[in-house]
Amino acid sequence: MANSDVGRPSNSPLIIISGLLLVFGVLVVSGVLTPMFKSLHTHKQIDLMEALTFIGAGIGFVTAVLRMGRMNKPMGKFDIFVLETIPGILFIMVLAMAIRWFLEPVVVIMSKQLVPVLGFKIHKVLNLNYVVLGILVGIVITNSWGIPKFAASGVKTARFVLKMGVILLGARYSFAELAKLGMVSVWMIGFFVLGTVFFVLFLGNLFKQPKSMTGVLSAGMGVCGVSATVACAPVVRARCSEMAYTIGTILGFGILCMFAFPTIGKIVGMNPTQFGAWAGTGILNSAQVAAACLAFNAVDIKTLKVGEIFNITRVLFLPVIVLVLASWYGKQSGQKLSFKEVVIDKFPIFILGFLLLFLMSSFGLFSPPGHYKGKYLDFSYNQRTEITPEELTVLHNAQSAGIVGLNAEEKAAFDDLVHQRQIAGNFAERDNKAAFDTTARKHMAGLESILARAKGKEIVIASEVKSAIKHAVKQVHKKSKTIVTLTDAMIWFFAYGLIGLGMQITRKSLAQAGGWPLVMGAISGITKATLSFIVVMYFVKDVVLK
Amino acid sequence: MEENIKMEKENCPTANDQEQQENEERALSVFASEKNEDLVALSLVIVVTFVVLLFTKWLA
Repeated sequence: MANSDVGRPSNSPLIIISGLLLVFGVLVVSGVLTPMFKSLHTHKQIDLMEALTFIGAGIGFVTAVLRMGRMNKPMGKFDIFVLETIPGILFIMVLAMAIRWFLEPVVVIMSKQLVPVLGFKIHKVLNLNYVVLGILVGIVITNSWGIPKFAASGVKTARFVLKMGVILLGARYSFAELAKLGMVSVWMIGFFVLGTVFFVLFLGNLFKQPKSMTGVLSAGMGVCGVSATVACAPVVRARCSEMAYTIGTILGFGILCMFAFPTIGKIVGMNPTQFGAWAGTGILNSAQVAAACLAFNAVDIKTLKVGEIFNITRVLFLPVIVLVLASWYGKQSGQKLSFKEVVIDKFPIFILGFLLLFLMSSFGLFSPPGHYKGKYLDFSYNQRTEITPEELTVLHNAQSAGIVGLNAEEKAAFDDLVHQRQIAGNFAERDNKAAFDTTARKHMAGLESILARAKGKEIVIASEVKSAIKHAVKQVHKKSKTIVTLTDAMIWFFAYGLIGLGMQITRKSLAQAGGWPLVMGAISGITKATLSFIVVMYFVKDVVLK
Repeated sequence: MEENIKMEKENCPTANDQEQQENEERALSVFASEKNEDLVALSLVIVVTFVVLLFTKWLA
């Protein structure tokens, strides 16, 4: 056989994968699968499916032809880095596609169907998104069939692709987030991030845990879950199993918090801002922060906004934590590092990439710098911002019939929507953008208040009216296409990298790490939650956001 | 005799073996060094960012 003399795996798996991608691409283009994608709610990604599958199949076939020509020949650099790596890359890519387009939506649908039985959405509680599913699929493959021989080199690209994801993460943030928070809040976040990192390092020393495990756990517990774990792992030379343990600990602790936080918050009578600040500081995973905030108060959107801003601001401390861990790891390994060595020699280049994209974002290259995660409100007079003529008729009828229970602001907002067909400021003020936007925001708040009170059953409005108002609010919420596309790319890089990461985790390596990371995670997590609770109760009242 | 040595090696891997295995696991990468890996990742992201900006902002 061709692979006997130079250790080159057979070409057949690569040809099969490329063929499968091609067939899938053709089926997508023909529209046969569209009804299925609609039921899975993935139909909006059909263009991406076509592009990815045809590009993947093309690369696969070209590689197969080139490999065929090089069979029986000694391997050069081009073989090792390109030709022998591509089959593995395609293998993980196919798994990532299966997870993003099939497994994740199926889990969501099943979880929603189980709500009458369980009383909650299990995918939200267990955080069964592409992150967890990717790692799980990787672990299952490694520990059941084992990594296929042809894919072995591709798995080695996982860490590299994860780094690309962390660099792209920088594009989602800007100085605007920091500017939104008052200085007190920034100090508080910084104190808890650094405090947790040092506390976990202390616990690791106390329980005599490996340096790499302690280092990566401190980053995960201090900053915010998965991205921090990935970013700091190379600095402390953490193993894949240690990264997986950290991610597992963070998500596991987050599940407890999701139930405990809203209950405690309600018992002690926190206001929406206080709860948002507490959840954003105490819970690590951003999806779980959002879930806890919504569980505490689904009506007042402020809770969620405060929680999210507190949560994401922690990511901005990532470079600082990398520096701290680099110098700590150097010291622990017996090297005395000068400041220059830590900052210039040991500082990972990919974190500089994160900072570069953060700066590009702050200077407004991706979307105007004041925008939050690329989202912005557009109140300008524009047909794309208007509601449909049918919706206008529905609202007109509701206005004539009268809605019982609206307060003055809500009524003014409703009347203005019917009058202007969209959320906007006063027509007479259209040349004064600041005044126009302020009035428009007031109108939007009025309409959101109607929706919230209808949800809380304080007032009764027809479902058509509700949906028309929702549409009007949605119409003024715009997103920067650049940020959306970069975020999509980041998600794909993370999905790919985490599957590869999972593939490097064997049962043996998990058993070696033992249960200590869980103990350390629980102690530091509970301490942080308790201390932040005290700080929030005493120091955060109502004015957190500027 | 040879078989015994082989079995012993399998059951109790030497410190060197373990160390090597550990190092391999920590440095599972196609790149020769961490620096190369980071530089390639950064370059690719810059290319991706440029392409995204080109199609979603400058040419849109």
